[in-house]
Amino acid sequence: MVGYLRTSFTLIWREIESNFYSPLSYIVLTMFLLLNGYSFSISLPESNWVVSDAIRYFLGLSWMCWLGTIFIPPLLTMRLISEEKKSGTIEMLMTAPVTETQVIFAKYAGALFFYIFLWSPSLIYIIIIKRYGAVPDNGVIFSSYCGVFLLGSSLIALGVFTSSLSGNQIVGAITALVLNLLIFFIPLLSQVIPWDGVRRVLQQLWVFRHFQDSFSKGVIDTFHLVFYLGLTTFFLFLAVRSLEARKWR
Amino acid sequence: MITITELTKRFYDVVALDRISFEVGRDEVVGFLGPNGAGKSTTLKILTSFIPATSGSARVAGFDVFSQSLAVRRSVGYLPEHVALYPDMRVSEYLNYRGRLKGLGGKALRQRIATVLDLCALNDMTGRIMGQLSKGYRQRVGLADALLSNPPILLLDEPTGGLDPNQRREVRQLVARLGEEHTILLSSHVLAEVESMCSRVIIIQNGRIVADGRLEDLVTDLKGGRRVFVEAGCPVGTLETACRAFKPEPEILESGARETGSFLAVPPLDDALRAKFLRHLVEKDVPVREFRVDSYTLEEIYMKITLAQEGSLDREPIAAEGEQD
Repeated sequence: MVGYLRTSFTLIWREIESNFYSPLSYIVLTMFLLLNGYSFSISLPESNWVVSDAIRYFLGLSWMCWLGTIFIPPLLTMRLISEEKKSGTIEMLMTAPVTETQVIFAKYAGALFFYIFLWSPSLIYIIIIKRYGAVPDNGVIFSSYCGVFLLGSSLIALGVFTSSLSGNQIVGAITALVLNLLIFFIPLLSQVIPWDGVRRVLQQLWVFRHFQDSFSKGVIDTFHLVFYLGLTTFFLFLAVRSLEARKWR
Repeated sequence: MITITELTKRFYDVVALDRISFEVGRDEVVGFLGPNGAGKSTTLKILTSFIPATSGSARVAGFDVFSQSLAVRRSVGYLPEHVALYPDMRVSEYLNYRGRLKGLGGKALRQRIATVLDLCALNDMTGRIMGQLSKGYRQRVGLADALLSNPPILLLDEPTGGLDPNQRREVRQLVARLGEEHTILLSSHVLAEVESMCSRVIIIQNGRIVADGRLEDLVTDLKGGRRVFVEAGCPVGTLETACRAFKPEPEILESGARETGSFLAVPPLDDALRAKFLRHLVEKDVPVREFRVDSYTLEEIYMKITLAQEGSLDREPIAAEGEQD
């Protein structure tokens, strides 16, 4: 067990490091900071200078926040497994005494770490607000960050899965992006579905609603928590199976 | 240490391995020979648990490659055919990382890294970014990685592939040294190398084992593996007539004219008969310039075995069933 954890830690650390070796990471970082900064700069005027509204807007309700959460995970995850497959390092990796689950989890954890790293400078904005503005509601800030984290976690798990499907990074990224957009928009399409039950289920799955109803209001609802953690587990499970698929042929 | 029983691997419709069976004992160095696509790499990949077999079983160091894959991977050092390395890492970082994955750590890891760097002559390369390494050095890093946990079993897929002659010699010497206390199964299609490194050879073709044994035995076993070659300073007709007059009359395998004479080859004769044959030729006034016994080179044996119609060689282990070729 100790050995298992130590190996897992080695794998995770390698993934965290490799993010900082990759030039793409810095491009993503720059893009994200620009987007995030702009988003913050307009959040106060957009919400009529009401500080707590501005934070809700900035962390979850603005279209720029959504742009970040939908487009960033595929960029972070697209190379994770496809690159190992393409270059052949997957053979070196999987002939070492490590399990598929360890590898997938490490990839996921490494990308999630970078995702958190991307968001962490935004804390500065919160500090600025606290320093110069009215005292914002800490609960709302915390739950908003939880929402951003949980959504990121599930979309990163999805990206890890799509990256494991082929040896091509672009295929992985585009598949992830399309799925992200589907997850985001399918509940909108549900309005044309005539069956009431199905429509209600799809409405529940609408991630935007989770933010509006819950995270941005300072509420961490168990349903939403379970929903995102379930989504994460589901896609990580698929990714493990996909990595094992070489054994089914 | 390695036991393979009736191992079969199919990729969709293609049969890559067809019920192969063999064993490799402790501290044996076995060469796995065969043309490209014969199934060498597939076998090694199955032995490292990277891919599973379609049927049959394989045990490595007493562990089953399917159900005890982690234990198998802990006891095996594997050098793949194409050594793929992370281009962004330095050699020392990589070995450190791989050592940790293999369960080493602390002082033990530092010592092992120092040892394998020495063994693979990589001491000057520890700070190099691996993306900039030449093929030869990448191969060495791969080998160093395989040796890192000092596993009892080494599976080396084309360990000398893509190396220059000097590097090849170094690898050969290294394998010879390692063979003293490791069980090694190495694949190659360079015969001279197998000859110099391995005590035993398994020749595989189209997914079947066509020969398995000690090299010397393979050479002597092959009937007609030698021939008597005569060159003389006379027309080819004279040489052939003189040859046919010998009793028992030898079959002429090959004959022809040379610039200033002719040559002829007959099947091998035993020692006494050979002496008689030479005296006979001399008595027939054939101006013999050269008289020698040709051995088949390893290349020729290999070609003979791999090109032979299945069934024409009465070698076990796999009886021809006529479904292939």
